[in-house]
Amino acid sequence: MIEFRNVNLDYPGHAAALSNIQLFIGKGEFVYLVGQSGAGKSSFMNLIIKRHLPTQGEVLVGGVPLSRYRGAATAGLRRQIGMVFQDNRLLPHLNVFDNVAFALRVTGVPQREWQTRVLGALRTVGVEDKRTAWPLQLSQGEQQRVAIARAIVGEPLLLLADEPTGNLDPENSREVVKVLQHVNLRGTTVLVATHARELVESYRHRTITLRQGRLVRDDPHGGYQL
Amino acid sequence: MNYHLRESLAQMRGNATATLSTFITMTLTLLILGFVVLLTFNVDRTLSQLESQVEIAAFLSDGADGKALAKQVRNLSPVTDVRLVSKEEVLSEMQRDYPYTKDAVELTGNPFPATLRLKVAHVEDSREVAGLVGQMKGVEDVEYGAGYVDQTVKTLSTIRTGGYGLVALLLIGTLFNILNAVRVAIYARRHEISVMRLLGATPGFIRTPHLIEGVLLGLLAGLLASGLLAPAYLYLARQVDLLVPLLPTITDLATISPVLLGLLLLGALVGLLGSLFATQRYLRELE
Ligand SMILES: Nc1ncnc2c1ncn2[C@@H]1O[C@H](COP(=O)(O)OP(=O)(O)OP(=O)(O)O)[C@@H](O)[C@H]1O
Ligand SMILES: [Mg+2]
Repeated sequence: MIEFRNVNLDYPGHAAALSNIQLFIGKGEFVYLVGQSGAGKSSFMNLIIKRHLPTQGEVLVGGVPLSRYRGAATAGLRRQIGMVFQDNRLLPHLNVFDNVAFALRVTGVPQREWQTRVLGALRTVGVEDKRTAWPLQLSQGEQQRVAIARAIVGEPLLLLADEPTGNLDPENSREVVKVLQHVNLRGTTVLVATHARELVESYRHRTITLRQGRLVRDDPHGGYQL
Repeated sequence: MNYHLRESLAQMRGNATATLSTFITMTLTLLILGFVVLLTFNVDRTLSQLESQVEIAAFLSDGADGKALAKQVRNLSPVTDVRLVSKEEVLSEMQRDYPYTKDAVELTGNPFPATLRLKVAHVEDSREVAGLVGQMKGVEDVEYGAGYVDQTVKTLSTIRTGGYGLVALLLIGTLFNILNAVRVAIYARRHEISVMRLLGATPGFIRTPHLIEGVLLGLLAGLLASGLLAPAYLYLARQVDLLVPLLPTITDLATISPVLLGLLLLGALVGLLGSLFATQRYLRELE
């Protein structure tokens, strides 16, 4: 599903945000991405949705190098990928329902399908009753869930979640991980970047550890060890 | 479509200053263009009227074969009409128009030469035809309204060229205005646009509201310009008619309405081009 071949990423003014990453994630896997702040987790995910291109090496999704995608093709790629952003990126001028429906609207899903699909996604993350609220009226945890709903409403093949439990208490965090596992059981490949040791250790999945841009551990049985 | 339209209206409301300044410059540009085009139409009509009136006169030497010369001249292609006027006819014309010539004739005999009066299809050909006719045997001298016609043509076409130059500058200004308005609109939407992109919206989908914005602005400016131009022009034409009744001013709707329609279409086109260019340029700058 995802393959990194000798990937290096430099930012202007910040060299080696990722260095020499070599990795394969198969279809249907559930993978944690852990590492200290600044280790390169978000950068890793941004490469997969082609927000950046690697400085060196190649990232492949579904066997196709991302450098091959252009314009509308990039849009097509992103429709297969749901992403929960670290800063959730909900649109403040749209209510919860419209924020989730936005993902369907911009990808041209017919309006008659919105109702069922959006409500289904909101139900999955457990914020169905907030559908007419504005993002700023929600707790951060609720916002995070809406962001997950928006990421899964398009039924993507791949779900990238960057710190989806960043603002949640342990109880809610476990709920979110259960949601992600549920989505994974439906066949979606799931990649979760997280700091939450407790989660990684109690819901065990393959865990990839980054340290200062390098891949230092790739443990198929999981475990949190930075 | 509904979504895109709502989106573009929201944008125009969102950056009212840029939208308004674009709208005003565009309206003024189209208005001036309309005036210049109508002026040109009038100039063309005036010129063709001049053309139909301007005559070339070839004065024949005594004893020349007027009929043969008339035939020869008629064979020149720019010439549309030739009339031979005998010495006696010229004299009686002159005596009719200027009665005192009678006295002169008593002293010197008929001083007027037989004359060929010819018309050409286009005023510009006058000089050439006059030259050719002047070289014919039996033609003493040739006269045509060169000075007066040349001067008129020059003045009118200078005004026309100046007008089009001004319009070209204004159109460029309008394009920049649209570019700026769309840039402001894109900037105001930048967060939304970056989210749209990451959710998999195509570039075309993101552009559409901005393109609609440009076209809508252009159409509205064209509409207002036409709405102002029609009554203003007709009023002006009536004033000119009162001052110079001989000028063939254009006031028929069949001639004017295509100009108005053209302004509308041009407005839409400029709007579309401006926003196409702006979206291409500024959307690439984001993320
Ligand atoms: N746009 C950018 N320009 C320059 N440097 C950047 C940019 N984005 C990230 N970096 C740098 O790259 C490194 C990796 O950043 P990244 O956001 O991937 O870390 P992270 O593991 O997601 O951290 P966190 O857990 O805090 O989210 C950091 O040192 C950061 O300063
Ligand atoms: Mg991060």
